[in-house]
Amino acid sequence: MQQVFPLFKRYFQQELRNSNALFSLGLYLMGITYLIYLLGGNNTTDSTWNTLLWVVTFFAAVTQSSRSFEFESSDYFYYYQSIAKPGPTIIAKLLFNAAYMLLLSLTTWLLFSFFYGNSVYNQSVFAAGLSLGSIGFSVVLTLTNGIASRTSGNATLSTILAIPLMLPVLKLTSTLNLQAMVGVEFGDVLPLLGSLAALDVAIGLLAYLLFPYLWQD
Amino acid sequence: MLYSLIYGLLTTIPELPIIEQSIRNLFYHVSMWFTMVAMMAGSFGNAISYLSKENLNRDLRSVSLAELGMVFASLGLLTGMMWARFTWGAWWTNDPKLNGSAITVLIYLAYFVLRNAMDDERKRARISAVYNIFAFVMMIVFIGILPRMTDSLHPGNGGNPGFNSYDLDNRLRLVFYPAVLGWIFIGTWIASLRYRLRKLQA
Repeated sequence: MQQVFPLFKRYFQQELRNSNALFSLGLYLMGITYLIYLLGGNNTTDSTWNTLLWVVTFFAAVTQSSRSFEFESSDYFYYYQSIAKPGPTIIAKLLFNAAYMLLLSLTTWLLFSFFYGNSVYNQSVFAAGLSLGSIGFSVVLTLTNGIASRTSGNATLSTILAIPLMLPVLKLTSTLNLQAMVGVEFGDVLPLLGSLAALDVAIGLLAYLLFPYLWQD
Repeated sequence: MLYSLIYGLLTTIPELPIIEQSIRNLFYHVSMWFTMVAMMAGSFGNAISYLSKENLNRDLRSVSLAELGMVFASLGLLTGMMWARFTWGAWWTNDPKLNGSAITVLIYLAYFVLRNAMDDERKRARISAVYNIFAFVMMIVFIGILPRMTDSLHPGNGGNPGFNSYDLDNRLRLVFYPAVLGWIFIGTWIASLRYRLRKLQA
């Protein structure tokens, strides 16, 4: 388990060194938010706001996670396999991708608030739903990118694998978000939050258990 | 033989006297889904046993059972849609159990897409076994656990009564249990034929 933190630091450094991907994601978020604004974003209802937020976050998530295994899929694979065990690798990747996704979704929320106003009534419920939903996204996408990186398939394979698994996460999160916009107390949505958190934990646990079989040749 | 005997019992279903005619769909619709779960459970068990000991036959069994599971899932969806049209008035509703079953079908379709993307036998077997385990656990979550926790129109979830004295009486039960067993046998038989075909081809 001591390997987790050095691996995490390594992924962080890789992301900072090849920082053009990070900046292009930021540019994508700003560009598409502005595009939505130009297309008539002034008069959006609550559910449209929520839908657009999640569609934008979804595409950002897919783009980000498709690069998460790029160093492990090519010739570098044998190098990484020899120095890192699969358990710490997948934990470090899950944590890193979850942190990255949290950053992306919070940025998207800020951008949307800047352009269309923050129509959320209960901020803490919305923030909780957003965080758990984006963690769920990142966990699913990390696992499916891990699977897809071991095949010689095309780039859309991981998206195809991930979309059915993300639909329930998305459904639970959007329900939470809509309730937060309408304005519910934190105590009322605890069952929903609990089930979303349990789903995240379950998928993460499965990823941890199954990853050693992917880490072989 | 045993298969034709059970299948013969299936065809005598319409003779039973019942109150509502559409309850007959119980035998077809619910038994389809039970059979799908049984097929997928078999596929899951074979996937686990492939990962523990690399026997390629297990992988062939796993994919044959998954194929049959998909067939039964599509039949279950079709019979469910027909039943929904008669009782609820619409072919499809925005209901957690229905969404969960549609997502399950999508997950297993993605399983077949994944298998097509790889050529090397052992790698394909290993990676699709990993995905199969993941898909099975997710299926149990999406069609078993999530619908029970939220509001649902579908019987058995969200506060509606399921398999108790409201829905079944003993005459229906007498036909229902053999029907489930019969469909599972038919499914396993066809899966074993597919498996033998694949073993010959490989």
